Amino acid sequence: MGLQHYADLESCLSVAVDAAKRAGQIIANNFNTAKVIEHKGMVDLVTETDKACEDLIFKLLKSTFPSHELIGEETSAENGTPLLTDAPTWIVDPLDGTTNFVHRFPFVCVSIGLVVNKVPVVGVVYNPILKELFTAVQGKGAYLNGKLIHASSQDKIGNSILATEVGTTRDKQTVDRTTNCINNLLFQVRSVRLSGSCAMNLCGVACGRLDMFYETGFGGPWDVAGGALIVQEAGGLIFDPSGKDFDLMSRRIGASNGHLKQPLVTALTSYV
Amino acid sequence: MGLHQSEELESCLAVAVEVAKKAGQIIKDGFHRAKAVEHKGLVDLVTETDKACEDVIFTQLKESFPSHELIGEETASVNGIPVLTDSPTWVIDPLDGTTNFVHSFPFVCVSIGLVIDKVPVVGVVYNPLLDELFTGIKGQGAFLNGQRIHASNQEHIGNGLLATEIGVKRDKQTVDRTSNLINYFLYKVRSLRLSGSCAMNLCGVACGRLDMFYELGFGGPWDVAAGTLILREAGGLVFDPSGGEFDMMSHLVAASNGHLKGALVEGLVAHM
Repeated sequence: MGLQHYADLESCLSVAVDAAKRAGQIIANNFNTAKVIEHKGMVDLVTETDKACEDLIFKLLKSTFPSHELIGEETSAENGTPLLTDAPTWIVDPLDGTTNFVHRFPFVCVSIGLVVNKVPVVGVVYNPILKELFTAVQGKGAYLNGKLIHASSQDKIGNSILATEVGTTRDKQTVDRTTNCINNLLFQVRSVRLSGSCAMNLCGVACGRLDMFYETGFGGPWDVAGGALIVQEAGGLIFDPSGKDFDLMSRRIGASNGHLKQPLVTALTSYV
Repeated sequence: MGLHQSEELESCLAVAVEVAKKAGQIIKDGFHRAKAVEHKGLVDLVTETDKACEDVIFTQLKESFPSHELIGEETASVNGIPVLTDSPTWVIDPLDGTTNFVHSFPFVCVSIGLVIDKVPVVGVVYNPLLDELFTGIKGQGAFLNGQRIHASNQEHIGNGLLATEIGVKRDKQTVDRTSNLINYFLYKVRSLRLSGSCAMNLCGVACGRLDMFYELGFGGPWDVAAGTLILREAGGLVFDPSGGEFDMMSHLVAASNGHLKGALVEGLVAHM
């Protein structure tokens, strides 16, 4: 589609960072106030802040890149998730970690990914409460607040920290599978972290504070489009939890540093 | 023992805050560096930073309060846990969340409690990475960075955020009990958070970002002496997981806002 030049991607990154910071300011301003919560599902929440952030980000991206497509969580909740084409497409989670936002638990972020030919080429994840800005451009490395970051070098699963989430589906089959999977992993890893934001988990693997992450059944491609590129640019791996190739639209993800993909995939076998 | 005058407790708090900040600086300085890790157990870690912080804290407290007793995690791991008497006793975790520290995951803190007649009367928990200073004096409220904090108002367990930890024991009985409890609570609560620091979890309930917490089998009284005081001063409840009186030396703790104790205990009693 022509949007492969470094200069083009750098300017895309710059606009995405600007959008993320502005949306982040809305999140920070509203963080300590009472929230009006709507339920998309029993434990699947949305607030006015999610919607305001998506509006702001969409407007900025549409006005700067009128030929680009847009996929956003809240717009998709209204209208259905659009099909992903080869066209340059911005995939946006205006507020990842809405439950955390409602409870004032500080793992919340804006996640913006630019996908071209169905491949992420620019990623921005911004946590305005912890003031952590994660960025990546394809081929150019991954950064946290301007410093180059790397996935960890841990090669023993017994010394590793695993992140996962319990998600928003609470039927018996899902809950039992989740806990059986965690049970199996507890015998193998150093510890487990559940922090409530898929994008923050991916960035955690990218900067080495986590060694592995998996989640199935999360909301949509917006949870992973930004973070997946950041992990890869940090030298980490992104894959389907079965070990097959990652599919951005599948609502399934596995992530690890450069060494632990196989042990994780093996441990997840028959649970995912 | 006579040390109940408000201004004496205020001066104890001031010294505790000062030394928590000094230890916090040591933690911050070491946070992004490579750590030499020793194993107290399979997944129970200690570093030079834990020991350096305990030295700094002990030295300052001994100098300021020569008649007070001291119980610290690292000294106790070498010499055994002293018996807790009625004397004014400082109960100290120089670095709560050592695993997080080793992995550079930012939920780490210094925890310093002053206990008199076996009751916590002063509490300081300081996370130098998030720059969060939680403080409390018995009868005078709980504070985060100088602002008054309160446990949440949430009355419905289905809207509650539950925190717990998986601890450092990995025998089958412990791991199975951990996952059975998680399985039970997943049907009841809004979501689950595992963040890796007992003191941060207690302070999380105190400031309302969490609604409930339990941990079975943590290291020692140093994990809870300060946080339980802060939580009670924030209007929250601290109790034994059975629903009975909390015992600081028991390695068991459960905590909630003012409303959810019954629901939490019901689940714990049935599945412990």
